[in-house]
Amino acid sequence: MTFGTILGAWVAVFLTLAIFSYLYKDNPFYKIAEHVFVGISAGYWASMFFWTQIQPNLFGRLWPASEYNADSFWYKIYNGLHVLTSAVFPEGGIDKGHDMHLIYLIPFALGIMMLLSVSSKLSWFARWGIAYTVGMAAGLRAYGFLNSNVIGQIKGSAMQFVGGDLPFFALIGNSIFNNIVILVGTIAGLAYFYFSKEHKGAFGKLTKLGIYFLMISFGASFGFAVMGRISLLIGRFVDLIDYSKAQYNHATIWILIAMIVLLGYNAFKDRGKNTPVSEDAA
Amino acid sequence: MKKIADFILKIGEMDRRWIFIIIALVVLLPLFFPIGLPIRPTDSTQTAYDAMDDLEHGSNVLVSFEYGPSTKPEIHPMTYAVLRHLFKNKHKVYITCLWPDGQFMAEEAIEEIAEQEFNLTYGKDYVLLGFRPGNEAVVKGIVSNIRKLYSTDARGTLTDKIPMMEGINKLADFDFIFTASAGYPGTVEWVQYGADPTGVPMSTGVTSIQVNEVMPYVQSGQVKGILAGMPGAAEYEKLVGIPGIGTSGMDAQSVAHVVIVLFIIFGNVAFFIERQRQKKY
Repeated sequence: MTFGTILGAWVAVFLTLAIFSYLYKDNPFYKIAEHVFVGISAGYWASMFFWTQIQPNLFGRLWPASEYNADSFWYKIYNGLHVLTSAVFPEGGIDKGHDMHLIYLIPFALGIMMLLSVSSKLSWFARWGIAYTVGMAAGLRAYGFLNSNVIGQIKGSAMQFVGGDLPFFALIGNSIFNNIVILVGTIAGLAYFYFSKEHKGAFGKLTKLGIYFLMISFGASFGFAVMGRISLLIGRFVDLIDYSKAQYNHATIWILIAMIVLLGYNAFKDRGKNTPVSEDAA
Repeated sequence: MKKIADFILKIGEMDRRWIFIIIALVVLLPLFFPIGLPIRPTDSTQTAYDAMDDLEHGSNVLVSFEYGPSTKPEIHPMTYAVLRHLFKNKHKVYITCLWPDGQFMAEEAIEEIAEQEFNLTYGKDYVLLGFRPGNEAVVKGIVSNIRKLYSTDARGTLTDKIPMMEGINKLADFDFIFTASAGYPGTVEWVQYGADPTGVPMSTGVTSIQVNEVMPYVQSGQVKGILAGMPGAAEYEKLVGIPGIGTSGMDAQSVAHVVIVLFIIFGNVAFFIERQRQKKY
């Protein structure tokens, strides 16, 4: 096993136990892990966005290698950029399989405008980029939601109630009884969100039934949330068990002991002071 | 009776850190001493399996990785099992990622499954197209012209030079989509902008917390089955016939659930006793 793999295991164990230590109380180990996580995530995302989209798909379309001409004004600008950084702007244009599309200067300009939000005087430029993004997203999502969530779901709730070969009752799967439950649940759930009529009388009873269906749905969501969290805990424990083996120099055991000793010493030093468990530690 | 009620109320006031320790123990112990509880595939997992099993050998399957290390324990076992199933049936696998860290997950999965287990050839049997930022706009891009969006794969090779990219120009050229999703962008976006507009059948594996959000698409037939969290992965592993991390984690999952249910019942009993006493005095 390489030194890098072992070091990686020790770092992973430290960060995992540091995050778990928050369940005891807020402490410097947790703070370290939290800051490292935020910093590395931001750096990783920025790097990935740049090298998978901006460099190949934006710069690659503005200065493609296929149309490189050192005498043209456009590529003279490129050669100037190449002097600044040859990794981003390699010699002879960017070879990512694109032709030249100068229309991509528009998203390039909008991107720069977004970055200007850091300047108090020029921050108004950012509105153009935001306006474009919001408009594009609204248009794109309107179609998706109408097609899949409205039309698709209405089609999906058109069910068979009589005739055919459906059984009257089945615990799991399609049956006339289950279809009736879905129909009643859908109507009652939708009725609950109809606020133009007071929830009284027969309509009130229907909306109350809607609340029960919603509560069952929330209960199922809670159950799934618990299941998900336990799965993540299992995943971390499986890794911690793996890293406690001799091939990783018993990383889990040593770091766990070190952390308990240091937190214990800290607690001993702070005895008498009132340091309640954080309310968020759950 | 009063003594029991007092005892329940007293325990209800105990430090929450004891609960953390109990949960940690009930998760850890079955990992060290497996019980071997039976795993039975649910209808939704069986539907997803059947949908992929019914594909003709050599079909073009797009597998999208929309998760990262934070949800790896739930989704990674699913992608392993699904990739095993697809490669066993000689399908060509095209991998895309809507999440930047999905690319790491994909690299790990193909190294272990495609290279070490099946000894397949990159570019001929599978290709990692990689991550592109843009969320649903990426799905739209794949629908209209995948080559415009992916002029190179994740390793920097021009897609025109990858043999298995021949004849693949848009989403409609694929026979099936499988998304391994942990949130946004993910399954919902693939349904809305990919599968529904093109009619390409799709299935999905999602984190437990997403199941309720995606289930309406499964019930309406827009998505062919669903692998729901770690249990979904374990069920798929059983259907494929190769137990993995999903299966080994199910004992701990089941025992932890029983304990949490007991905690909930206990908490409610304590709540009602307290409320009754408040009414009394």
